Amino acid sequence: MNKPPEIKLADIENPLLEARGIGKTVAGPDGELTLLEAVDFTLAAGESVAITGPSGSGKSTLLGLLAGLDTPTSGEVLLENTAFSQLDEDARALRRGQLCAFVFQHFHLVNDLNALENVMLPLELKGEKDAKGCAQQWLERVGLEHRLKHFPSTLSGGEQQRVALARAFAVQPRLLFADEPTGSLDHANGRRIGELLFELNRETGTALVLVTHDDHLARRCQRQLQLEAGRLSEITVTASVQ
Amino acid sequence: MNKLLRPWRDRAFQILALALAIAGFSLTSVILLQAELEKRFAVRTAEMLGGELVITGTQPLEDTQRALLAATTKDLRTSALIDFSTVLVHKEELLLVSARAVDDSYPLYGDIQLANDRFGPSITRPNGPPPGELWVADQVLDRLDLALGETIKVGKKALTVSAIIRQLPDESAGFYSMSPRVVFNTQELEATGVVGPGTRLKYRQLIGGDLNSITQLSTALRPGLRPDQRLDDVEHAAVRSMGPLRQLTLWVNLAVLLISILCGATVYLATSQRVEQRARLAGLLRGFGAPRRQILQRILGGEFMAVLPAALAGSLFGATFIALLHNLLDWQGPLAATGSRWLMIILAPLVLWLAFALPRLSALVRVPAIDILNRRNASKLLATHVELTAALAAPVLLAGLLTRSLTDLGSLLGLLVALGAGLPALLWPLLKTLDLASNKLPLAARLAVRRLSRRPTLTLPLLAALTLAMAIIALAGQTGTQLLDDWRTRLPEQAPNHFVLNLFERDLDGFNNWLTEQDAVPQPLYPIVRGRLTEINGEPVSRAITKERGNNDESLNRDLALTEADDMLASNKILTGEWHPAPGTVSVEQELAERLGLEVGDKLIFTTSRGSVSAEIASIRSVDWDTFEPNFYFMFYPGGLSDQDVTWLTGFWLAEGDGKRLARLMQSLPHITLLDVNTLLDKANEIIAQASGATALLAVLLVLAAVLVLTAALLGGQTQRGLDNALLRTLGGNRSLLHRVVWLEFLSLCASAAFAATLIVFIALYPLTSRLLNDLPSLSWWQIAPLVIGLVVAMLGVLASRGALKKPALSLLRDGG
Repeated sequence: MNKPPEIKLADIENPLLEARGIGKTVAGPDGELTLLEAVDFTLAAGESVAITGPSGSGKSTLLGLLAGLDTPTSGEVLLENTAFSQLDEDARALRRGQLCAFVFQHFHLVNDLNALENVMLPLELKGEKDAKGCAQQWLERVGLEHRLKHFPSTLSGGEQQRVALARAFAVQPRLLFADEPTGSLDHANGRRIGELLFELNRETGTALVLVTHDDHLARRCQRQLQLEAGRLSEITVTASVQ
Repeated sequence: MNKLLRPWRDRAFQILALALAIAGFSLTSVILLQAELEKRFAVRTAEMLGGELVITGTQPLEDTQRALLAATTKDLRTSALIDFSTVLVHKEELLLVSARAVDDSYPLYGDIQLANDRFGPSITRPNGPPPGELWVADQVLDRLDLALGETIKVGKKALTVSAIIRQLPDESAGFYSMSPRVVFNTQELEATGVVGPGTRLKYRQLIGGDLNSITQLSTALRPGLRPDQRLDDVEHAAVRSMGPLRQLTLWVNLAVLLISILCGATVYLATSQRVEQRARLAGLLRGFGAPRRQILQRILGGEFMAVLPAALAGSLFGATFIALLHNLLDWQGPLAATGSRWLMIILAPLVLWLAFALPRLSALVRVPAIDILNRRNASKLLATHVELTAALAAPVLLAGLLTRSLTDLGSLLGLLVALGAGLPALLWPLLKTLDLASNKLPLAARLAVRRLSRRPTLTLPLLAALTLAMAIIALAGQTGTQLLDDWRTRLPEQAPNHFVLNLFERDLDGFNNWLTEQDAVPQPLYPIVRGRLTEINGEPVSRAITKERGNNDESLNRDLALTEADDMLASNKILTGEWHPAPGTVSVEQELAERLGLEVGDKLIFTTSRGSVSAEIASIRSVDWDTFEPNFYFMFYPGGLSDQDVTWLTGFWLAEGDGKRLARLMQSLPHITLLDVNTLLDKANEIIAQASGATALLAVLLVLAAVLVLTAALLGGQTQRGLDNALLRTLGGNRSLLHRVVWLEFLSLCASAAFAATLIVFIALYPLTSRLLNDLPSLSWWQIAPLVIGLVVAMLGVLASRGALKKPALSLLRDGG
């Protein structure tokens, strides 16, 4: 297993992503239900963080809030030191498009678009001129040069997740959110996708927020955080601080 | 109970239940309405014929025929009439009349309308005159200067004139005859002495009773008929093919077919949604080891129990509605529907559900459980070609069962089936071309097009349903309004309610002055020359027309009313030839021309009181006998009847009032024949009012069913659309882009559907209007209805998608996952 790269103090002091006391409550059948409570979180540029925890502990909710896919009921999220969670939906989408990328457990490819078009989609949203050429390169990089015109329904689970990785890294994001990226795959495919994810992460220097149940995968991150009953705690710090 | 109520929380189920309730309501209303119409048809036809079965002949019935009649008479009612012509003499005036001797059972159907005063109110009598009395048409009083209460001899027997005949129930067709009518009791017939060798008598045996006995008797009688005898029955009577009634039957049948198709389409679309939602349950059950049959039974059983109340409630509302209508319109007797129809009422919506939902739900056991649970190969849950074909055939079969005959709508049905099958073939290349062309389009347009073009199993049924609904609204709208217009034109508000015959040239000024004084609305004047057709192409008619062809045709044995006119009547249509191309030509009515084998170019000679008239046939023309305007077999080129003995015929509308105005006219022109057709007009108006009501009701049901399809179509794909939008937002797409994609998607979908629907409308309109209205289609705003509906649906679709745009992307992605 490769050892995670170290991060510098300056990066910690000037985080790429920061959450300050964020909480999320929703209306339930027996009144309000607290999913997250006063969570603080920081992520430096290029840093990788794994969030683990039992099912229902709020991992995906936290990821959604950090990525601006949902808004917290208390606290705030800052992206590059600017208030992110307080922006409106469109502004958040714009920032996300510029800085972030996603990999989901269920791949979430657009069924009507072929592999090439799926990878082109975020590039086009970002205004990339040679979206096609760039997408093609990334698909070659993940070993799918022979599957460019295939639709998601004709690809295996592992292949679909590779398309999703190509789609995520093609936009050269500063930050990648990965929600159980190996959760829908068998062991062998899961391992291959894990390898590919960290390989690309290292090559591009992208920061990574990884939600996972997979301890092996979590251990490959620089930091591991445990979420339990809506509260976040640090398990280990594998990076050395200068 | 909770189990039954649970599905109602789902919007797709609500739509499904509403579709079945509307199907139940529409089909029940239509089946009951159809039964009522058939009953009223049969009664009206029997009224016009005089009975359900009528034997006409120049001799009395044979003994064998009497025996047959006696053998079945216990279930039947009979009445015997004898019609003949005779001359009445009073105060040295002579008048040729059509006499009718009736027994005490006459009439079997309907009532006789009488009056005690020339212009007084009508009195209804259920039976004919008692012995010793003579009922006469008003012209008899005028022409013979006779008063009620006086006696007059019919042959050798003096009878007391006791009432004026307004209308006999079996005389509504051909409402003016040349000779006025008198009626007396058969018991006096022998005493009159008019029956003897050489007298031309027409014996009419009227028979009424239940349809089975009538059919049996008719079958038994038919082989033994003499050459002079004719058998008419309700089943085969021409009345069935009469104007508004025929049109209404066709319209009802068409509505049944279209409502079945539309409700079926809604059930199909809504069930598709349900299948998506029930897939997880099916997958889990399969995972737990439940066999396919058990899963299908559980899911199907649950759905069936949930939709059953909706379908039954719809049927119950339909039956209540028709029962209320029955009372409101004062239709006599109980509801006409029999046991088999009630069974059909209960089964029809359920059969519709089974036909459409069963193949859809079966998809749940077809797909491997793991695929369902992992949301893989969701496309396997989509429709197969077999299902789509079944979906197309089911309503056609159902409509066939309900209408009991699809022959009337054969061409339209063929067209619908061809279009249904051909529509995907037509639209698919269009979408594929659009897909290829979209490579150069901006991102939003490309995404919108691809959402449609790359989901054929989702897009094509949606497109077909939208197309069908749009086309049906436009077709129903146009033909419905055209039908109502047609009936309104046929009987305008001031349709002539009086006709005048035997006006002489010298009477015209006085008559016109009277019309002006009374504010009557006049009609054109037609010159009438009485003539008998004697030669065709230089040969006497007896030789020119073979026996088989009809040289015994009634029209050859009597004087015909010949006329000349500049213009053709608006309700007439030239079928072959040309209207009055040159002097010396004549236009002939189509049915008579067919009976006598007359063709354009034939030369005809008529014998008249002044010698003869000759003309060459220049055109054959169809005539609408249901209009309240004079119609003629032969219409000559203007001037063709000069130098003949001419009388004039016209009609006029006169507002209701006392009889003094008409009395003044009769006093100043005592020789004219004045016919009051108000009773007939009222009857015709009543039929048209009821037919219009039924037409409007069916049109409303059709539109409702079409709106349901549109709603179900909007719901279809909403989940997928929400998921796609969430993903786009996650990848950085802003709201404006999402709005553009949704707008363009709906606009492309609705524009394609509107384009196909407009095509269908233009193709179907011709066979539809020619079958239904015997007319050519005209331009109408309804033809752009698909475009307008398309725009509205696109807007509604965008509005319906707004909810999904507002929902946090995370929850959608999680739900979708």
